[in-house]
Amino acid sequence: MGLRSLVMCEEDDVSKDMKFLVVDDFSTMRRIIKNLLNDLGYANVTEADDGQTALPLLQAGGFDFLVTDWNMPGMPGLDLLKAVRADPKLAKMPVLMLTAEAKREQIIEAAQAGVNGYVIKPFTAVTLKEKIDKILEQRATAA
Amino acid sequence: MTSAIDALRAEFGPNIATLAGALAAGDERLFLSELDALVHRRERTLFSELRKLTGTLQSALDRFSVDSRLVDLAEKEVPDARQRLDHVLKLTDEAAHRTMDLVEQSGPLAERTAREAGEIAELWRKFRARKIQVDEFRSMIDRLDLFLESSREDMDKVRGNLSEVLMAQGYQDLSGQIIRGVMKLVLELETALVDLVRLSRTGPNAAPAPVSDGMHRGFGPTVPGIDNGPAVSGQQDVDALLLGLGM
Repeated sequence: MGLRSLVMCEEDDVSKDMKFLVVDDFSTMRRIIKNLLNDLGYANVTEADDGQTALPLLQAGGFDFLVTDWNMPGMPGLDLLKAVRADPKLAKMPVLMLTAEAKREQIIEAAQAGVNGYVIKPFTAVTLKEKIDKILEQRATAA
Repeated sequence: MTSAIDALRAEFGPNIATLAGALAAGDERLFLSELDALVHRRERTLFSELRKLTGTLQSALDRFSVDSRLVDLAEKEVPDARQRLDHVLKLTDEAAHRTMDLVEQSGPLAERTAREAGEIAELWRKFRARKIQVDEFRSMIDRLDLFLESSREDMDKVRGNLSEVLMAQGYQDLSGQIIRGVMKLVLELETALVDLVRLSRTGPNAAPAPVSDGMHRGFGPTVPGIDNGPAVSGQQDVDALLLGLGM
């Protein structure tokens, strides 16, 4: 069963209008994530190739969800996460780390920096969906 | 041997002759001052030799620090890099096969749907032209039922395969990160070799070993057989770890 049929089983809700920012230095990976998000019904996806380009976009406003890699030239994902949490306007933004970084201490560090989810590459479409859903669920109950 | 003794004779002969002369003449002051000059000269050569020796030792030590970095690169990191590239080969190989498998699976499904649609369309045209027999009409309806069901299933499968083809392209990111790591190593190796060449020409000022900032910038993908410290083995491990942290 394809991912789309997974999606079609669910009723659409307002969260499908959310605006995503996908940050990864590899354009192939950005395309993959963007396609998966589209498959999940999230049509509004913008891309950035590292933290340095992502941060001004985020600060300009309008984004609801950040998906970021860790290992990038310029500003790494961990620094981007810290910058987002340190910015009062962005502090509450859901951040999903999608990375090949697999050290236990790194995952702990990301958690301490306030990441909302951590998906390790290579990943599956189902995992990505699960983690996004979970983050949104938690936000819905917290709100 | 002869030339060495000749050199000594040339260097010390006059002093010794003066010494012997002073001794024979009973000139104590001349003897002592000449003896002092002789000892002083000997000490000077000794010091200059010692200085040379110290210089050699210093450059040997400098070279040793470059050497030990080179040894480290040659013994550990170059074999590691080979293993990393091997892993890249494996990743690209798997992704290519996975993609081709999915394409091969999808082709016949699309073909079957197209063929069946063509055949039903043929019957449909006869029906529209009111040239269809009753039993032909019944068979068309049955085939149409089957076709609607099977084409939905087939296209669902094709759609799923396309999603997986998309996912399989993730190898480019993972292998790209590993290749970048190896390129960094090659650059470091080049720098160490250039330093070595420079040292063997002139001497000191070895370049310091680069400092790793993996914890901050990231280490890149895990490569089987290369240990960089405790790592998780997959998403389940990550989830368990985060759950333990209260997430």
